[in-house]
Amino acid sequence: MFRTSRIAAVAALAVSALALSACAPTAPEPSASASGGGGAGAASNETLTIATTTDVVNYNPLIGNSRSDYWITNLMYPHLLSIADDGSKEPQVATEWGYVDETTGFYEIRDDLTWSDGEKLTAEDVAWTMNAVKRDAPSGTFYGQLANFESAEAVSDTRVEITLTTADSSIVDEIGFWGNVVPKHVFEPAGSVAEFANDGSAGGWVSAGPYLLTDVQVGQSYTLERVEDYPLVEGGTPYSAEVVYRVFPDVNTEILALQSGEVDVIANSLPPAQVETLRNTPGIEVEEAVGLGYAHMTYNMTKPDLAKLEVRKALAHSVDYEAIRKVVLQDQAVSTGSSPLMPVLEDYYDDSIEEYEFDTDMARELMEEAGYTADAGGNFPVSFRLIYSLQDAVTSQWVTLVKDGAAEAGITIELQGTERNTYLAQTNAGDFDIYAGNFAIMDDPVTNMTLAYLPEGAINYTYVDDPELNELITTASSTTDKDEKVELMREAAAIVRDNVYDNIMYTQNLYFAHSDKWTGFVSKPSELLSIVNPISVASAHLK
Amino acid sequence: MSADKTLGGAGTVPLSAAEAMTSTTAEPVADENGRASAATWRAFRREPLGLLAGGLLALLVFVAIAAPLLSPYPASFGENVLRPPGGGEWFGTDALGRSVYAEVVWGTQQSLLVAAAASLIAIAFGTLVAVVGAYFRSIDGFIGVVVDLTLSLPVLPLMILIAALVGPSTTTIILVVAAFSWPEVTRIVRSQALTVVNLPYVDAARLMTTSPVWIITKHVVPTVTPVIVVSVVVTASRAVLSAAGLAFLGLGDPTTWSWGRILYEAQQSGAMSSAWWLTLFPSLAILALVLSATLLSIAYNDARNPKSRRR
Repeated sequence: MFRTSRIAAVAALAVSALALSACAPTAPEPSASASGGGGAGAASNETLTIATTTDVVNYNPLIGNSRSDYWITNLMYPHLLSIADDGSKEPQVATEWGYVDETTGFYEIRDDLTWSDGEKLTAEDVAWTMNAVKRDAPSGTFYGQLANFESAEAVSDTRVEITLTTADSSIVDEIGFWGNVVPKHVFEPAGSVAEFANDGSAGGWVSAGPYLLTDVQVGQSYTLERVEDYPLVEGGTPYSAEVVYRVFPDVNTEILALQSGEVDVIANSLPPAQVETLRNTPGIEVEEAVGLGYAHMTYNMTKPDLAKLEVRKALAHSVDYEAIRKVVLQDQAVSTGSSPLMPVLEDYYDDSIEEYEFDTDMARELMEEAGYTADAGGNFPVSFRLIYSLQDAVTSQWVTLVKDGAAEAGITIELQGTERNTYLAQTNAGDFDIYAGNFAIMDDPVTNMTLAYLPEGAINYTYVDDPELNELITTASSTTDKDEKVELMREAAAIVRDNVYDNIMYTQNLYFAHSDKWTGFVSKPSELLSIVNPISVASAHLK
Repeated sequence: MSADKTLGGAGTVPLSAAEAMTSTTAEPVADENGRASAATWRAFRREPLGLLAGGLLALLVFVAIAAPLLSPYPASFGENVLRPPGGGEWFGTDALGRSVYAEVVWGTQQSLLVAAAASLIAIAFGTLVAVVGAYFRSIDGFIGVVVDLTLSLPVLPLMILIAALVGPSTTTIILVVAAFSWPEVTRIVRSQALTVVNLPYVDAARLMTTSPVWIITKHVVPTVTPVIVVSVVVTASRAVLSAAGLAFLGLGDPTTWSWGRILYEAQQSGAMSSAWWLTLFPSLAILALVLSATLLSIAYNDARNPKSRRR
């Protein structure tokens, strides 16, 4: 799911170390209404069983960790904003949001939400959550968004105002989307929100979402019961009486369980090669979700060889991007034109920026320009160590294509796939020549570039510090005029592409499988939300 | 002194009929071994299962050595993904369109290399410890404790831990498997060697030289060789299983093809439920190696033992 180790800012991007990461909803939902509140309208006694591959590590939604953590806590602790296919934000707990002035933002929230213990969910809960996260700095996505946040105040029961340390035109959207709201009356007595386990040991959980966790069998299942009053779904009551998350060893067993009718939904995205097979399997339906993140490689510029632009270019030109998308991703990914502005971000996307061409002869020429001479075997005297996570199945597959392409250009790449935690430690320590990985959601270009390309950025894995680029990004982050912002971002993207400060390879569209007995799912971007987001789970119903 | 005691011989360990014959013969040891091995071979040729197993093992070795002639090295990707066996692809293709046949053929190399190298290290070390312990009784107690301790360790979790800490590579796999295989060898060889060092001819050898190295290499090791041969085969087949297990858990060398890696990649790509050929063929290869090694060792053991020879 997302990296939480470095500054929480990393998490802001929901970095997905698993290959199956980025996704957004595109498929028209069979019965979901346009308002986002699908559902058959009537509550039932049914149980919706969902398969996952990991246990819940953290029940505190302010501390991110595994995918299951996010999926299950998301059913209890709502977000202010939701996200659309193109990365724009949609109302959830907040109905209106924006800026009072340059350094003051606001959210107007619904007045009809209640915690499951009877307490009203008010602006005080929202403000307290934000202030507590800023104060205790829990390692998670939420805290990462609070760099320019100073404090929040509940000015009425339904209005929260946030004070910023500096003008920031993205922060209201980003805090609203990435931050949960937790019950002040439960979390405040527990002390630091960075340490509160919230494991139900003090008498269970309290929910303002559609479901409430009631039973945990570690390694087996997590049972959630319906919260009768959930106004965000059509009819005001979730359809299924119970939602059960069942833990399986891997995606193979999940698929078998779905085929046998043991589970109704697989929460993990499907491996690309399985999508067609499952689509043609009777009894199973596959939902598509457009990607809102990207997979990329960065070249560590603190290494003398990689500090040379020609070498980075040579590496970028020795990758067969088409083959990767066609074979590894089964044409389920789209090229971003080697730009951090993905086509899915329609307002920002610039189609004049073109993808690095796969041309190993050109790569050889570039290496020679950089001053290297190939030996008799046609190999240049360089060797680069590429790190990736073995848990990331898709990346594990395409790195071999990267290695073979580079070998054709006479450049040696040594693959170092490691267990995820080792990989994250290496990434954060800069212990690599080439880094391969992906981000689940890169919804806001300014925020993303701030983190990825500014010298102190939490995910600046290239270790780039380009004054011209820095200037463009910092100017854009205080610019409120959309057209101007887009122009600045396009200029920045061209610099990133031309200098190979980042090698963005594709945006992957994700696919999710469920039993054809069920319908009414509401798909949202990324594997984090997909068809198991709160509205979708509450709206899903039997045909 | 009673007649019974005289009959019992000089050794403190009761002797079997065959061993008693060996120990009381006046002829030199080498000659006796020569005749014994010929008899063993004659008996072995009458074991159809043993011959079959030997043939299968020879075939696998041939595949490993002749891999470049049998199939090109697996490409990094192919256009036809997850094709079932048939057409141009004997064993079908995997999630990246690579030929499973090529992967199995080239995987034989790595799997046999691990089997041979790991069992060689385990045998060399295990035998050394066993005979030294058996000969020098003062350190035998200590060695016994170390062997028992190592045998009682939970092997798989420790292998996983070490492989994960050191990082996946062929060398790691070989060393890890060898490190957990030697105590078994030591235990088997030691029990045999303990009998041998108490035989009169070893006592006689002590009168001829003061060098324990000479006695151990000339008289003890040759006598325990049949046991070593059996444990080589058993250790090798166990090494293949361990290596495949570690590779399946993602702790194998991700850049070299092995049977375990084919299984691991099938699992990673989520294709196990639909593409049976991804798991069947490497599993058959593992089965062929382990089964032939085991049958071969049984057949050899039977042939070596005059009492169990077919008449």
